[in-house]
Amino acid sequence: MSVVSANEIPRPAITIGGVIRAVGFIGLGAIGVTVGLSDVLARAPADVVDFGSPLITPSPHFPLGTDILGRDMLSETLHALAVTVTNAGLAAIVVVVAGGLAGFIAARLPYRIGFLLRGIAGILCAIPALLLAILLIGLVNRGLAPLAAGLAAAPLGFARAFDRARGLGQSRHAEFARATGISPGALLRRDLTYEFRDSFLSIAARALAAVTIVLSTVSFLGYGATPPHRDLGLMIAAARDVYFDAWWTAAVPAAALALFILCARLAAGLEEGERA
Amino acid sequence: MSGHLLTVTELTVKRSGAKRPEIDRLSLAVDAGETLVILGEAGCGKEALMRVLAGAPDRDEIVDGTVQFGDASPERAVKFPRPLIRMSYLPGPFEQPLSRHVSVLSQLTRIVARKLDAPRASAQEELGLALGRLTGAPKLADLDRPPAALSPELQAWGLFAAAYAQNPELLLADHALAGLAPGHARALTRALLAEQARLGFAILYAAMNAETPVWLKGRLIVMRHGKIVEEGPAERLATSQAHSYTQTLFKARPPAVSDKPQPRASTRGQPVIQAYRIEMAKPSPKRARDDLTFELRRGASLALIGDEGSGRHALARILLGLDHAPAGRVVFDAVDIGVLARNMMARLRRRVAFVVGADDMLDPRMTIWDTVAEPLRTHLDLPRHVIANYRDVALKRVGLASLPGNRVVANLSAFDKRRLQVARAIVSAPVLAVIDEPLRGLDAFAQAVMRDLLKNFRTQEGPAFLVITSDIMVAQSFAEDAMIMKDGRVIERGPLADILRAPKAAYTLSLIEASAPVKNSALPPAASQG
Repeated sequence: MSVVSANEIPRPAITIGGVIRAVGFIGLGAIGVTVGLSDVLARAPADVVDFGSPLITPSPHFPLGTDILGRDMLSETLHALAVTVTNAGLAAIVVVVAGGLAGFIAARLPYRIGFLLRGIAGILCAIPALLLAILLIGLVNRGLAPLAAGLAAAPLGFARAFDRARGLGQSRHAEFARATGISPGALLRRDLTYEFRDSFLSIAARALAAVTIVLSTVSFLGYGATPPHRDLGLMIAAARDVYFDAWWTAAVPAAALALFILCARLAAGLEEGERA
Repeated sequence: MSGHLLTVTELTVKRSGAKRPEIDRLSLAVDAGETLVILGEAGCGKEALMRVLAGAPDRDEIVDGTVQFGDASPERAVKFPRPLIRMSYLPGPFEQPLSRHVSVLSQLTRIVARKLDAPRASAQEELGLALGRLTGAPKLADLDRPPAALSPELQAWGLFAAAYAQNPELLLADHALAGLAPGHARALTRALLAEQARLGFAILYAAMNAETPVWLKGRLIVMRHGKIVEEGPAERLATSQAHSYTQTLFKARPPAVSDKPQPRASTRGQPVIQAYRIEMAKPSPKRARDDLTFELRRGASLALIGDEGSGRHALARILLGLDHAPAGRVVFDAVDIGVLARNMMARLRRRVAFVVGADDMLDPRMTIWDTVAEPLRTHLDLPRHVIANYRDVALKRVGLASLPGNRVVANLSAFDKRRLQVARAIVSAPVLAVIDEPLRGLDAFAQAVMRDLLKNFRTQEGPAFLVITSDIMVAQSFAEDAMIMKDGRVIERGPLADILRAPKAAYTLSLIEASAPVKNSALPPAASQG
């Protein structure tokens, strides 16, 4: 019988997954600090044209060069990163609430209502989140793009949380608790507490990666952020005409975006989940 | 040349970071056709030995020493040598060795095919032949279902047959009979001894209760803290033990059924459960009526005794209002539960506590403190310090107060989880305690402690006990009245002492015989098996 002796606490093992997550969170932390200091680090305010000559190649004076309107690419990338991270953070909260939390609660609703909601979420999962986000932005306005992106990415989180909560509700320990008079509300509180304690960061990181892709693509297509609050997607879109002559205009924001998404995915332990 | 089938020399197994080794310089030898039983409480080192010999030590286990198979040269156990003898590993069904998604038959066939290096059709035929040789075994087709759909006893028959079908020279039986219903455990032991006589294989059996070595006879090694404390023929050690640890292990065996019938508790309180003309199945002209009428008062006890599928759980679910009886009425704590709404029923169930012989009954994510405090927090509006006080007292009573309260249930041993269930039951102050196979899967010491804890719980809190078990001895420990159940019917009922003294049904007699401790080497004949 494999049992743990009463006096020996199993030590938490260092796993590859744990290391990957730690690297991801360190990266996200570094990006967060950079965003917090973006106004200090940036030499020019957001969207200031003619800060230098147009399309200066990266040099000691302009480390990341300038774009077609003479904007300092380093300053613009820092400001755009701040906008992207802020919007993605808001959208990720929407995913966690409208996806994870709502899915968990829906699983404890009366059977028919719960499965109707699960069915709707399943149908919405089949629609690409990007198209759903564009549709929702059209229904509201582009200022609410983070909300739209969050709602667009939420169905998969809803479905996952619903299925997990159903599994927990049918587990032997839940049956045991019900048989001793523990109310459904108390069981829901118990499950929410432990599930969110154990996997909140992972869920949030997964959602962050998904909504960043959606938000940036929406902005790239012109349905999202607007100047002067440009995000990284809009920066890449602005470089479309000159990309083959001035590679840095698109490559720099694209690299920043890729780094942010990579850190979020690493923080989520490279788990598959809410995808754009 | 050692002349032995298996020789283990100076084997040491230590978990990285652990203070003391799981196995400390252990040396042993097994001869061809011999039976060697290693006996000890959980964590004595036999589990680690089995893991090493099966070639699957845990990742954090550091292994040292040598292992020699037959006449091959000894090799260091750290890099496990490929056995030059045919060896099969036989786990117990409660270890859940099979995948829950695939049928038992399919999995066992695959194992046999791989071991024999034979096509699956031939392997299945071998498995069928092995199963056919075993008296009391199910049919091959009965195993063609996932493990969850089969009782542990049926799975055990399949696992045993698969082990024999591999035509082994050495059988590593890792608690293979632990937790099984006594009738099946004895039938499997008889089959094991018969197959050993036929095929001539050696058995290395890891046991945690003193009954198994007595059943299997052969040589017995008693282990404690990774070391051998006593060794000798099982028949001799069963009657005279030199080491105090061995004496304690054999004393921990429960008393014989007829030795000391449980006296009736002197005080009885208000009725907790009153059952009026309960029917277990829909009334039909072909089936005789059950017409069960009885009551269970506070302080009293009733055992529902029978094998898996006998209907004891179905009757318990009816009594607790979890299922509705096709006919009849159940009054729980003076309330007719047939007319109660679900939420009111849930309120009524607050007065029910469970102690169940399964390790997944407690939420593995919860801490020790949360697990015990939850009924108080949820059901009563008490200040935190009062809850903490009740919790600490309960944990102290079951001997878990020394463990860190923030340790999660998943990291507790089976024995600790069982005691935690008792602590949770204590704080619930129940009027009814459902005690379902409370000793299953525990070693002899743990069983003795659990017996005392539950008796103490009954004496101090005074709930009615509804005991569900297949073991007459377990029933005898906790109950005075009993219902013997078979095929969904109550075939005998009354005071347990009377049933034990003069059983009316053959099935009852077979249950009594299966549960009675074997005197020395005598395994009761199979003829009276019900």
